[in-house]
Amino acid sequence: MSCIAAQSLAKSYSGIAAVDGIDLTVQTGQIFGFLGPNGAGKSTTIKMLTTLVMADAGNLSILGIDAAKSPLEIRKRIGVVLQQPSYEPTLTVKRSLEKYGMMWDVPAQLRQERVRRLLADFDLTEIQNKRNEDLSIGQRRRVQVAREFMHDMDLLFLDEPTVGLDPAVRKRLLDYLKDRAGAGLTIFYTTHVLSEAEYICDKIAIINRGKIIAVDSPEELKRRFGQEKTIKINIAERDERIRDLLEDITDCRVEFDSGTEVTIRSEQSSAVLSRIFGILKENDIEVEELSAVPTSLEDIFLKVVSDAPDS
Amino acid sequence: MHPIVRLVNRNLTISLSPGFLIWQVIFPLIYIFVAGFAYTSLIDRVPFGGRDLDYPAFLATGMIGFNIMNSTLVTGIIIWNDRRHGMFEQIMSGPFTRFHYILSSVITQAIVGLVSAALIAGMGYLVYFDQIEFNLSTVPLLVFAAVIGSVLFGSIASIISTRLRTSEGFNVIINTVFLFFAFVSTAFYPAGGAPEPLSTAFYLNPLTYLVDVIRAGIFGDVTEFVLVEMAVLVVLGLGLFVTATRLLTRLDF
Ligand SMILES: Nc1ncnc2c1ncn2[C@@H]1O[C@H](COP(=O)(O)OP(=O)(O)O)[C@@H](O)[C@H]1O
Ligand SMILES: [Mg+2]
Repeated sequence: MSCIAAQSLAKSYSGIAAVDGIDLTVQTGQIFGFLGPNGAGKSTTIKMLTTLVMADAGNLSILGIDAAKSPLEIRKRIGVVLQQPSYEPTLTVKRSLEKYGMMWDVPAQLRQERVRRLLADFDLTEIQNKRNEDLSIGQRRRVQVAREFMHDMDLLFLDEPTVGLDPAVRKRLLDYLKDRAGAGLTIFYTTHVLSEAEYICDKIAIINRGKIIAVDSPEELKRRFGQEKTIKINIAERDERIRDLLEDITDCRVEFDSGTEVTIRSEQSSAVLSRIFGILKENDIEVEELSAVPTSLEDIFLKVVSDAPDS
Repeated sequence: MHPIVRLVNRNLTISLSPGFLIWQVIFPLIYIFVAGFAYTSLIDRVPFGGRDLDYPAFLATGMIGFNIMNSTLVTGIIIWNDRRHGMFEQIMSGPFTRFHYILSSVITQAIVGLVSAALIAGMGYLVYFDQIEFNLSTVPLLVFAAVIGSVLFGSIASIISTRLRTSEGFNVIINTVFLFFAFVSTAFYPAGGAPEPLSTAFYLNPLTYLVDVIRAGIFGDVTEFVLVEMAVLVVLGLGLFVTATRLLTRLDF
């Protein structure tokens, strides 16, 4: 069964489309990555999927429930970590987890157990007696994510949960999410950082300017966009001829910096490389350093986003 | 447990801070026992329904109304904090509806209002015990005042909290409004002694109606005018509640 099924979902703010007719299918048990630059429409999409905001148009079914008809029934079964921080300023970390469990009607004893587990899993034990208003932004974010695991749910929405976390904490959170997904939780995860999506997601949709421009597994996205290699050549001395010489090579894009470095991107890297060697040798241009690495997914993402129509 | 009960539980947890309790209990006590007796040398007796009350008794009953009004600051502050700290969105994305949220605010303020009223009425008993005309309508009138007063002033606090986002603005406005209600009313002094435009202004103020009802309950003088005042409170309270609900329902994220 698909956990999320959306057709032609759209939302405008004062006439400007924030989300411009998107289709989404998320299978149960998946971690689904929703990737896009700032302002792409990720948060607006999450707000529609979590029934916080009504879509202007389109059909939406979450966990098999029609969002227009029974939003409350959906909300009872999902967890939501919005992009915006949310906390009770005067409660301590521990007490706010406990109270959140109470709000979700979790039985008292189970609540205690979960508080203990989550404080440990999210490395919050040391700050458990601090008030939320006294925490750093990163600590507060961790509490916010941890808190959502106080209750049972079938589907969890996370809107850029790792913003403000340092790399070690970020990794720990991603691993935690992977574990939970392994135990059967479906996760809808937005981020503008591709490496994160690549690390935890089974499937990634790329959204830009309110439109989905690619949906695939990370591997497939890589295969589709990631045959490309980046070749870097450092020449010993500045040489005016090199620009004309290299631009004749087919199947590649060449970028020059002002001085001695040339960057070439190509999907036919081995052929291109041998051509470069040939040209450099014929013209007696001395190479100081040469490297060829797969273009990072980060770069692919930027490319896909910037190649999208009307950007 | 019902979702509204859970929200009320949460509301009470976050609002019952020591600071708030001090504000709710110590402040009125100082008023009743210090100001009440200090002013007695100036205001000896207050005419009320064909007899004279002494000033501390008059003031203590006014403080019950004043305290009901003040207790509704709780709701304004909760709503305002929830919006500012993202909890409104968080709650609305959970197993609750806006109706649950609004009703839980009203119930929270009614509970705090009732407890405050009972507390002040209990402590005030020390100063008005010899003048009280306890009868069948005393308790119902006090409960009526606590509930309708909570709904009415709580709605005003909610309306202000939905309109303002900065903390300075919120605090300044809400305190100004409540200060105005407190001092341009019969909570602290009788309308009779005030100069004409002011004593009329007293009757443009719902707090005056509220303390009139409370005094009628405690001193046993339910006149027709008091019944009219009760009707005005109900109509005004419901009107403001509907307005507050509408505004809260229209808030977007
Ligand atoms: N409540 C709102 N009112 C007006 N415009 C909004 C609102 N929410 C989002 N937008 C606009 O919609 C677009 C998409 O925003 P958003 O969904 O927050 O993007 P993302 O989360 O991908 O950064 C942006 O141009 C943003 O300014
Ligand atoms: Mg966003």
